[in-house]
Amino acid sequence: MDGAKVREFFCKIIREDEDVSVGVAAIRTLMEIIKHSKSETVQELETNLKDGINVMKNTDYPVTAINSGCELFLRFITLAALDTRCFSDCKKIMLDRGHLFIKKLDEARGKIVKLASKFIEDGSKVLTHSRSRVVLQALRKAHKQNKRFEVFVTISAPDNSGKQMCKELQAEGIPCTLILDSAVGYIMEQVHFIMVGAEGVVESGGIVNKVGSYTMAVCAKEMKKPFYVLTESFKFSRLFPLGQQDLPEEYKYTSSVRKNSDLKKVHPLVDYTPPAYITLLFTDLGILTPSAVSDELIKLYL
Amino acid sequence: MPEIESLSDISRLISDIQHKKFTRSYDIALRTEELLQELISKGHWKSAKELMNLVKTRIQLVRENLPQEATAPNIMRHILKVIREEYQSASKKKDEGQSLHELVTSTPSNVLDYSDSLINLRSSILDHLTEYKVELESSSDNIAAQALEHIHTNEIILTVGKSNTVEKFLKRAAKDRIFNVIVVEGAPLYAGHTMAASLAKSNIQTTVIADSAVFAMMSRVNKVIIGTHTVLANGGLRAASGIHAVALAAKHYSVPVMVLSHMYKFCPIYVGSHNHEAFNVCASPANVIPYAFGPILDKIEVNNPVYDYVPPELVTLFISHQGGNSPSYVYRLLSELYHQDDYDI
Repeated sequence: MDGAKVREFFCKIIREDEDVSVGVAAIRTLMEIIKHSKSETVQELETNLKDGINVMKNTDYPVTAINSGCELFLRFITLAALDTRCFSDCKKIMLDRGHLFIKKLDEARGKIVKLASKFIEDGSKVLTHSRSRVVLQALRKAHKQNKRFEVFVTISAPDNSGKQMCKELQAEGIPCTLILDSAVGYIMEQVHFIMVGAEGVVESGGIVNKVGSYTMAVCAKEMKKPFYVLTESFKFSRLFPLGQQDLPEEYKYTSSVRKNSDLKKVHPLVDYTPPAYITLLFTDLGILTPSAVSDELIKLYL
Repeated sequence: MPEIESLSDISRLISDIQHKKFTRSYDIALRTEELLQELISKGHWKSAKELMNLVKTRIQLVRENLPQEATAPNIMRHILKVIREEYQSASKKKDEGQSLHELVTSTPSNVLDYSDSLINLRSSILDHLTEYKVELESSSDNIAAQALEHIHTNEIILTVGKSNTVEKFLKRAAKDRIFNVIVVEGAPLYAGHTMAASLAKSNIQTTVIADSAVFAMMSRVNKVIIGTHTVLANGGLRAASGIHAVALAAKHYSVPVMVLSHMYKFCPIYVGSHNHEAFNVCASPANVIPYAFGPILDKIEVNNPVYDYVPPELVTLFISHQGGNSPSYVYRLLSELYHQDDYDI
């Protein structure tokens, strides 16, 4: 597959299926590359995949999710390659395991929703930020369990994705209020807990998410409200930022912005929330404390 | 119906717990272990899967009848893990549980269903359980053996109410060190009084204080050492009521809080919020205001909650027979103790 085809395939998945997260789309694209690849060695295949990853990173979708998904997939290739001697066997194993892998990724969200909906109790008030598919589904599930609760959603500038989230919640019949990003402090004393998604989870157990999440987490900590993160485990990535400056630029700005503007004057897309502000992470691996994230990554990359 | 009849063992345990025949969690732990040992040696099961289902129905029954009881289900959960391990080593198949590594490396062929009947499974599980029983019996000795690492000469230790594990721990330290113990009396049951009397008999300098005096005394305390009812999955505690206040006072004066806990007290369940109905129980209010007070009882409401939720930030260290662990490490202990699929039964 050449660059243009990869790009087309990747964008098509995202456009056609509203519910697929960018990371899963990236992994599916990589599987497609393997299927069509004519390479004869693992190294050649890896080069093909890396070219594919670069193409995807240069689309205007969030790089955070693409990166962690692809990182995991490359590890998957390396581990499969270690298990066999000849390339044709290896390719077969990759395709076999790949299907199972993608199936598990598809099941992940259901598992998280099941875990998280238990924490939404009757009469609670939930604050959430921006739009997250998994948070939306968790709230939906809790609503279907006949729990009465109220949701506050930040409008989430600059793309105002909170508006969309609010609309979707209201369509379900869940009482929902859109609030200003600057009203997070105002609303915090009323809510019982915060539930957000994540674009990526870093090695320290902190998260990379839509800008404003950090503000919310700091506020929540000050007012002693639990800050819950709902995220699939393929978003775990081996990055260890100590502060906002350590986040790679490709995470913070889309590729078109990076090429054309003075980055000092552009708003970042994401921020980094350190693990100290996070109460629990709900993942398909179970409910984890932030310190469990590095454990999982070490097991995988050892 | 044979199905119901076969559950009589667990029903008896439940009623014994309900009628407070066992007051110490250690007794419940041992009884549960013996009960399962009998089930495994005499019960009708052909494969590990059948046995696991037998155990699971028992866990469910206990959880339905005694939502606050953690020890008995935890022991059974651990035994489920033992069964899984023995099955895996006998059938030479591996199940790594849920992890990122497993997500990436699993193949369709190695899915375990525990349904093969293996010849030596019964005896190997029973062997493993015998070891486990020894571990249970020696647990409090092993915890007490660490006393000298934590208690130093001339220190002032504060403890709340009565815990057999703490009692043993302090007495062990007293053999080699001279130190002071402040016992918070723990109204309305005043278990602290018994505790203090017992410590004084072992020649430990003991002071009893009222619950309301905790904050005033905390500034001179070197360490708080307490027992707990359960350790929750996030590292928080379900402990005797009054302990949250003690832990907050300790935080204020930066006094370390150490919690002595047996492994069977580590519970893989999260409590969504501590106001959850299943979290607490209320005991008879007679201890708070005696019935003899008469007519005024009509006009007031009296509550006597048994437990406190203590958030993990207030705990410095858990001491189990394996040594000390911080609250953020509890998830790891849990994954060693139980299989992930058995967390929520």
